[in-house]
Amino acid sequence: MGLRIELDPGKCSGLGLCEAEAPELFEVQEDGSLTVLDDHPSADRRAECEAAVASCPTEALRLVED
Amino acid sequence: MSTDTSFENDFATEFEDDEDGVQMLPATSERKPEHYPVDISTKAFWNLTSEEREETFKILRKEQPVSWQRPVDDAVNPDPDDPGYWAVVKHADIVKVSRDNETFVSGQGVLFDLLPPIFLELTQSFLAMDNPKHDMLRKLVSSAFTPKQIKLIDDKIKLAAKEIVDSFASDPSGEVEFVAACSEKLPTRIFSDIMGIPEEFREQTAKSAADIVAWADPEILGDRLADEVQVEAATILHDIAEQLIELKRREPGDDLLTSLIAAEVDGRKLDEFEIGSFFVLMAVAGTDTTKHTTSLTMRAFTHFPEQKKWLMEDYDARIGNAIEEFIRYASPVMTFRRTAVKETELGGHPIIPGDKVVMFYPSGCMDSDVFENPEKFDLARPNAREHVGFGGGGVHFCLGNQLAKSMLRAIFKELLFRIPEFEAGEPELLGTNFMRGVKRMPLRFTPEKVS
Repeated sequence: MGLRIELDPGKCSGLGLCEAEAPELFEVQEDGSLTVLDDHPSADRRAECEAAVASCPTEALRLVED
Repeated sequence: MSTDTSFENDFATEFEDDEDGVQMLPATSERKPEHYPVDISTKAFWNLTSEEREETFKILRKEQPVSWQRPVDDAVNPDPDDPGYWAVVKHADIVKVSRDNETFVSGQGVLFDLLPPIFLELTQSFLAMDNPKHDMLRKLVSSAFTPKQIKLIDDKIKLAAKEIVDSFASDPSGEVEFVAACSEKLPTRIFSDIMGIPEEFREQTAKSAADIVAWADPEILGDRLADEVQVEAATILHDIAEQLIELKRREPGDDLLTSLIAAEVDGRKLDEFEIGSFFVLMAVAGTDTTKHTTSLTMRAFTHFPEQKKWLMEDYDARIGNAIEEFIRYASPVMTFRRTAVKETELGGHPIIPGDKVVMFYPSGCMDSDVFENPEKFDLARPNAREHVGFGGGGVHFCLGNQLAKSMLRAIFKELLFRIPEFEAGEPELLGTNFMRGVKRMPLRFTPEKVS
């Protein structure tokens, strides 16, 4: 059981609200695309992940449990 | 009117040739109820204060969360065939409309008022576009507004905030007109820095940006017609953009205009008109909103002094959530419109293609189904961040949200700790249905001791 972050690049508009919540997990690139720096974050990052996912205005992020 | 006619001709040609020109869907009165008796389209309604309007929104939220309304009074460019619009006043519905960008589009216009097409083309850029074009254009500028980028300019923002407060904090009179002395200064300076606007163009840029949103305000209009003022202001901004483009081509800088000149979309560069429209949109969005939030928040602190005290007890830890409440409580952008392109349902009413749907953000920010005791300015409000002051989500969510927060954080740190004893007097409000603007507001304070 672990956490996994799923990004739908088609929905992402590159605003970086997730990055503001969790700068170690997300980074918006120069071209406006988003990179998930760690798509299998450790369990102690759950709160950060949830905040990042909830902050996304275009619902481009999902947190799933593998 | 000082509009350059050759420019208008260019525009007309471009408009006809526009391959991705949007086909406008006609609005229809088909399947519509009677206009709802609680009428929010009157001029009188939009001349009230926000607090007074809230009394009406409260009734609508309870009785008719989605109401069919007649067209707004005194439209700049009235349309005799306009049957009206759906008024969306509940938080949940504002979020729903904002996020469903397939059903509710922006390409048919986003302003509540009916405005001349030339003006819209001059000013709106990606604000009034749908995907995929919207995202392609917005991504050209979004990299300038990411958290990392804002952190890089954070010191600049702090220094600017300090210098602005320096300019009046120790004034022995202990009284200033706060909008001119403070609230409009920071956003104008930072926007100009980001864009790369040289000093000599800054004042005119800020003035024209303010004229654009003030279209229905009698004081600003004087004896001129609203469309005249608007198109003139937009044209001045396009002229400034044109001069700046020339300048940046000669001397590229580390600024947004330089990167817009170099940017390519779909293998082609932006033309001057497109950059100009970008410039106008950002000049308005980047200056006016934060300015009004700053003024309105000073007024809120005057009404809720215990909140000021609470925030100052642990500013750095509390300001993050406090800013969300500043924005919820000020809710400076009052309206944006969408147009339905699919059949759907909203608040129990059938919505059909062509229907205009207008979102009333201050009403969403005061919705007691989401915010407990919404009239209270409560900086510890646990869900303050659910406000719709940056929009209800979706692809048009406020691009400058991080910048706005950074500026508010910096300016209030200076204001609260250097002139903690203050009283903001009655604000003079802008008479429009778009921006909850403060034209002037007296601030009395105990001057800072000069060391």
